[in-house]
Amino acid sequence: MTDATIQVNPAAQSPPGETGKTGRFKQIRSIWESWTNRLFAMREDQLFLLLAVLIGVFAGLAVVCFRVAIEWTQLDLLGSSFSPPILRVLLVPTIGGLVVAFLAIRIFPGSQGSGVNRTKAAVYIWNGYVPFETVIGKFVTCALAIGSGQSLGPEDPSLQMGAGIASKIGRSLNLSQEKIRLIAPVGAAAGLAAAFNAPISAVLFVIEEVIGAWSGGVLGAIVLAAVSSVVTMRSFLGADSLFRVPEFRVVRAQDLLAYAILGLVGGAASVVFLKWIAYARPRIDRWPHWTKFLQPAAAGFLIGVIGIRFPQVMGAGYSVIDQAMHGQFAWDLLLALAGLKILATGFSFLSGTPGGMFAPVLFIGAMLGGAVGSVEQHFFPGLAGTIGTFALVGMGTFFAGFLRIPITSVFMVIELSGNYTAILPVMISTMVAFFISKRFQKLPLFEMLARYDGMILPSIEEQREQVAPVVEKAMQRDAALIFAPSDPLEKLTGSASAKPEFPLLVNSRREWRLIDREDLKQLAEDRTQTHAVADVKAKGPLPTLFPDQTLEEALQLVGDWQVLPVVNRADGSKLEGIIALADILRAFRNTPGE
Amino acid sequence: MAKPLAKNRIMKRGEHGRSRELVLVVCFLSLIGLFSVTAFAARMYHKRVHTLADQWFNQGQSDFQAGDAKKALVDYRNAFAFSPTNPVFQFHLAQALAANGDLLQAQAYLLQLLSQSPGSGDINLALARIVARQSRTQDAMMYYNSAIYGEWTDQPIEKRWGARRELCEYLVGKGATTQAEPALIALADNTPEGDVEKERTVGNLLLRAQMWSRALDEFRGILESGANDPDAVEGAGIAAYNLGQYSKAISYFERLPKDRASKPEVADQLRMARLVMGSNPFLPGLATTEKARRTANALRVAEGRAQACVEKANPPGSSQPQPSKLASLLTTAEMQKRNWTERGFIRTPDLINPAMDLAFQMEGEAASSCGALTDEDHALLIVAQSKAGNSAQ
Repeated sequence: MTDATIQVNPAAQSPPGETGKTGRFKQIRSIWESWTNRLFAMREDQLFLLLAVLIGVFAGLAVVCFRVAIEWTQLDLLGSSFSPPILRVLLVPTIGGLVVAFLAIRIFPGSQGSGVNRTKAAVYIWNGYVPFETVIGKFVTCALAIGSGQSLGPEDPSLQMGAGIASKIGRSLNLSQEKIRLIAPVGAAAGLAAAFNAPISAVLFVIEEVIGAWSGGVLGAIVLAAVSSVVTMRSFLGADSLFRVPEFRVVRAQDLLAYAILGLVGGAASVVFLKWIAYARPRIDRWPHWTKFLQPAAAGFLIGVIGIRFPQVMGAGYSVIDQAMHGQFAWDLLLALAGLKILATGFSFLSGTPGGMFAPVLFIGAMLGGAVGSVEQHFFPGLAGTIGTFALVGMGTFFAGFLRIPITSVFMVIELSGNYTAILPVMISTMVAFFISKRFQKLPLFEMLARYDGMILPSIEEQREQVAPVVEKAMQRDAALIFAPSDPLEKLTGSASAKPEFPLLVNSRREWRLIDREDLKQLAEDRTQTHAVADVKAKGPLPTLFPDQTLEEALQLVGDWQVLPVVNRADGSKLEGIIALADILRAFRNTPGE
Repeated sequence: MAKPLAKNRIMKRGEHGRSRELVLVVCFLSLIGLFSVTAFAARMYHKRVHTLADQWFNQGQSDFQAGDAKKALVDYRNAFAFSPTNPVFQFHLAQALAANGDLLQAQAYLLQLLSQSPGSGDINLALARIVARQSRTQDAMMYYNSAIYGEWTDQPIEKRWGARRELCEYLVGKGATTQAEPALIALADNTPEGDVEKERTVGNLLLRAQMWSRALDEFRGILESGANDPDAVEGAGIAAYNLGQYSKAISYFERLPKDRASKPEVADQLRMARLVMGSNPFLPGLATTEKARRTANALRVAEGRAQACVEKANPPGSSQPQPSKLASLLTTAEMQKRNWTERGFIRTPDLINPAMDLAFQMEGEAASSCGALTDEDHALLIVAQSKAGNSAQ
């Protein structure tokens, strides 16, 4: 031991009579205090990033436990065989449904409903509050529901569990209201990333669907949380993807048509599924309350009936997706599985059974993609790409059509496949599906569900597509008189009297000023020492605007100014037009869709 | 944008008035607790999954060995579902799929495995078997060759020989003799000496590919090693017969036990070999009288055959007989009848050659215009071919 260590040894520093243990305790305490003081002395933004990592680790651990619980439940209830005995297939989802209904209604009332919408509601309505009971409720009910064969997935509950954990940590540390509101999406991204084993897709999803905007303040925290949760999850469950993705072959230009057809089919199927939910959900909601206790059981029974012949539709179905992606099903079976999974997922979802839609949506997309690919390859054997390729693209296609999140869908496929060559077919297919879905189904799924739950959350799709009115639309062109400071006074007075309604602007080296006509009148009476425009008293400098700036920005700048100059971005001395408060208000009035 | 430092300190007390330090302590303790629970749960889960996977795989192995490929398929599927990255499970699943006739699925699994280990002998061989069942000869040859020159974890020499044998069997079965020939030669060269079983297999394949000389060598090798193998004797007999070595063929056939000798193919060849040996006047060491007797007999047989053939072409009562080469040959024979007798041949042995040539011509013409022929005629044609071969040499 060196002298230095002896010096810092608490026992050595202890006053006479104090034991070595007490001294060591004191030292630990002082280190702890200095560390916590330093930690809490951090700016909140820095602490927020640190917390994001902590949230990510918590969410990752929770998701690992959740996935293990689902698998364990499935093994115990349905057995380890790929095709369990008929009686088991019928009874397990039915009885499981009864138990889940009781738990979800009586014990954990917050566990029903969409996790995405609950997280969104936490951001926009409940000031970031997600009750921690929801985390436990989601864990228990969803593990039982999915494990007993209900056709639902673990991603949406994982997202909500992450949000719940984050909210709890944020509230416990008494972060500012702004940060508490933003911490739920951070946890949501962590939960989803761990459940999907795809951090980029999770980050994009949360930004695209939950927050709805690229906010620099929260983006860093979301990315950190997603990465730390995935790292945590992988250290327990391995780095393997949820399903093995086949090699993606380079696609020729002429093959893209085949993927466009897949987009058409995927879009049509997503519309059918959405329409069914839109039709059935309000009707089922009107049924007497006591039926809610039986609905999950009824759904479980129906799924069991399907599962006798097609056990693949039960549960999340990742292993089945894996098989489809490796060309292990014929086209007719793929098509049957896609149709039956839509039915089974509809039953589970409409019955109010807690669980997510992501995995079933991927399942349906993979089956549809595989089926379309098989049929296309039958008629055009020269088509590039395997059935697995079509199944992979099909997942993104149906995902984009059903959930209306095109950017996440494209990146999800690329992230899962780890192959950039997939981007062209995926983009074409997802965009076709997205536009078909948008054309035939007005409300996206999450917005529709929020409205059924009595919430009006901001529509991310509307926000995304809303075009903010810009200055260019409201400004007046050629409606001002411009003078240089060196211009003679006669020019100013002459022009001003010729066009009495035009404002008088003076431009000097990109600086704009406004001459009041009253001042000009007074000047005309007192002509003693005034020879040039520069000698005239002018107000300013005026704030300038560019034609592409929004009217909201213009409104903030216009203040008490009579008019503001709208100048060219490349040349600040070039006037594109002028804008007044009245122009802005008129433009707002004429903007449609508000 | 971050707020000014002074305004943005974290408040001293969190939710429910707990101190921030306490919250942090609880957080870290919870993290440690959750970490331990997760580690335990994940470990138990992995253990259970591995156990289940192994159980299903072992069940699959016993079902497959018991010949129940359908049940084995279900077992392997279950095992594979628990361990989807296990190449051994995947390989056996593919085998079971192939055994159940689901060649496309089996091929999909195997191709995926092949992309991971392109040099694997096992995978290439399994793929070769599948594409062979689909009659894709070129692909089958490619996979078989990859298997032959691929990596084998155990008994590489044995496995490579087996793969080559399968390739030969496939090509011979397909009648692709051109491709089969080099493969068979390589198989014969790679067959260990003294391994009667393998030598016999190679010999039989050579017989099926009609590579008589190599087949005879192979079987002779077995017999010379002291093995009294009836299969080898029979194969050697057949090879010798087809090589025109009738005396050898007879000697081999005569060594066969009765049940083997009575096999139709063997019996026919033995009878024909005896007939050829009994009717050929050109065999070395024959006495002149015997040569003369055989020549006279050959002429008689050929004349009878030619006469019957001409009569068949020109039935009695036909207004105008058709002139033919066969008829002119018969006329020649008729003209020489006085000199070309058994005594005449004894007196003038030089007549034997032209007489036999005429007999061969008559038999050849009759065979081309009248088709079916008796054993004696056939024997004469064989002798003719044998003589032509000898004179050509």
